[in-house]
Amino acid sequence: MFSNRLRQTASRIAPRLHQKSSSSPSAAAIAKRWHGGPHVAADAPTITVTFLQPDETKKEVAARIGESFLQVAHRNDIDLEGACEGVCACSTCHLIFPMDVYDALEYPEEDEEDMLDMAFGLTESSRLGCQVLISEEMDGIMVEMPKATRNFYVDGHVPQPH
Amino acid sequence: MYRRIQQPLHLLASRISRHCPRQRIRPFTSRSRRALDDDSSSAAAWKIAIVGSGPSGCYTGKYLLKSDAMANSQIDVLDRLPTPYGLVRNGVAPDHPEVKSVHHDFDSLFMKDGNEDNGQNLLNFYGNVTVGTDISLEELREIYDVVVLAYGCESVRPYDFIQNSKLEGILSAREFVSWYNGHVDYEWVGPLVEKALKRGSGQQQVVVIGHGNVALDCARILAKTREELDPTDIAARSLNIIDQQNRREISVIGRRGHVQAAFTIKEARELTRLDDANFVVRKDELDMGRTEASKQEINAARPRKRMEKLLTDAAAATSAMKNNTDDDDSQKKAAEVHLRFLLNPTSFETKDGSSLSHVTCERTRLVGDAGSQSAEGTGEMETIEAQLALVSIGYKGVAIPGTEEWYDDKRGILKNTHGLIEGSKEDLGGLYVSGWLKRGPSGIIGTNITDAKDTVASILHALKSSSPVDPKEGWKSIDETLKEKGINPVNWDGYRRIDAEERSPSRKRSELQPREKICSREEQLKAAFSS
Repeated sequence: MFSNRLRQTASRIAPRLHQKSSSSPSAAAIAKRWHGGPHVAADAPTITVTFLQPDETKKEVAARIGESFLQVAHRNDIDLEGACEGVCACSTCHLIFPMDVYDALEYPEEDEEDMLDMAFGLTESSRLGCQVLISEEMDGIMVEMPKATRNFYVDGHVPQPH
Repeated sequence: MYRRIQQPLHLLASRISRHCPRQRIRPFTSRSRRALDDDSSSAAAWKIAIVGSGPSGCYTGKYLLKSDAMANSQIDVLDRLPTPYGLVRNGVAPDHPEVKSVHHDFDSLFMKDGNEDNGQNLLNFYGNVTVGTDISLEELREIYDVVVLAYGCESVRPYDFIQNSKLEGILSAREFVSWYNGHVDYEWVGPLVEKALKRGSGQQQVVVIGHGNVALDCARILAKTREELDPTDIAARSLNIIDQQNRREISVIGRRGHVQAAFTIKEARELTRLDDANFVVRKDELDMGRTEASKQEINAARPRKRMEKLLTDAAAATSAMKNNTDDDDSQKKAAEVHLRFLLNPTSFETKDGSSLSHVTCERTRLVGDAGSQSAEGTGEMETIEAQLALVSIGYKGVAIPGTEEWYDDKRGILKNTHGLIEGSKEDLGGLYVSGWLKRGPSGIIGTNITDAKDTVASILHALKSSSPVDPKEGWKSIDETLKEKGINPVNWDGYRRIDAEERSPSRKRSELQPREKICSREEQLKAAFSS
């Protein structure tokens, strides 16, 4: 199983599972539009990852090594929003990783944790899709998109007093 | 390759040619390939209006466009302003450009009138059209099969429970925010802010009432230096007034404790990272807020745990700083932001009979169970000097004419079930609601994604079992109706002209400033209609 393999190699690969620096973006960086992650050539080597979509359907796609999960989703017409365009300033690209994959990743930066605090359906292995880059060892993994339940905003909801 | 239309052609053709100058049936492109696979060529030609072009309106439009059932539909987005995007433009703080980036995504949803043949179905923008005044809701529902109300919260929760709330120098945070963001209706705020700040000779004192992110935005903008604000899109009219001439002390106060505060950690953390301002948190107020129930609240949610740590660290830093600077005035920074808890403002006070001089607050304590603690007065009073008070206790939706029967005054929303307004008249288009007007003013931009999908699901469900109504005798398109009324809408190209002028180097302070907003409606219209 890929998870066993990952666990065995977790300590070895941890330094290589890179993520983008999530320091606060400068105005100049914003002006120069992001596209959810680094530029990776179309002929870059790929691995296979699966997105478990909110409606429970699975979508298996080819992910280029070095791309962010957000970029992979967008290239493959998966409904993962990236409202801030991949600069770690919103929580719309929230993804839930398998625990062993999460453990093998570098720790998220403080700014990413701050954004995750606002994410709907936060779990212990949640990350932002714009901050986690595809690496070879992730071949075959499945990441879960959080489910938005239909009764989230039922009528009769009482706003909390201030 | 073009999408073939396999539906009652006589109906469509007559509508398109007689009533709809815009091309509604667009050629097929790769983007809609999935739609073709699903045989969406038989999708009906619905006409949908979205009232309001803020995040909720745009996300509703976005998810409608994504639906195969909408492949042949016309979706128009109306806004009372000549510019789209609501609070993305007029609410999000100017020093949060990364949050505003979502407008790129929204840009891609709108019809470029000169570029119709790229094949995507897109939204049409009708700016400068006020529903309820320029055109009634009923007229709109005669034109469209579906009307989605997404005009958000046009007002604030009343704060006249605080005595003397009409004194000069008291504004709602909404007014202040709209003003610094260049909203065309809020130019009048400037002279009031200027006058209030000038009254603070030696030291300017501001009280911000409320513990949400808007309150922290106001405090942060007032505490930033000119250098920090210069590269933002803060309106020049505001920058020149906010620019600090004197030392400034900003107190952000709220009735409950730090565990109940509504602001999020990103905004709180920013207060610890200001160039020339100290962030002051009192250890004793954090201790008072740590009731047994609060401890349960902290342990139940990760965001609370992390906020607890941030504020505890800030309080420790405050003590350390105090020890260092007590004897040394040169160490003092230009501004101080005091984040205060368990203080209930009871009255605004004046010394000269007309303008604010201080705010009287009552110390509170928390009572009740975890998750529902409330603040109870202790009788102990404290006064905080202030020349300017910004009340930030929440936005509130209003009923535009024609929606009164569904309006819930207490919550400031339109009553709905998953976005569907039930009981709206049968012979008119369906009525739906999305965003803050649907659920109340809370959440971040991303919250509107879930919310919009919910409303879109309700719309699609209802449309599945019906078909577009054959236009009644005398039916007129939105373009014809507005023309008859003498209303000149700003279309997408018009907005792009405003946008281009705002971004032109001659208007901007520096290359880094994204745009210098045009802050008057007349000038915006002039830019929009220039050729």
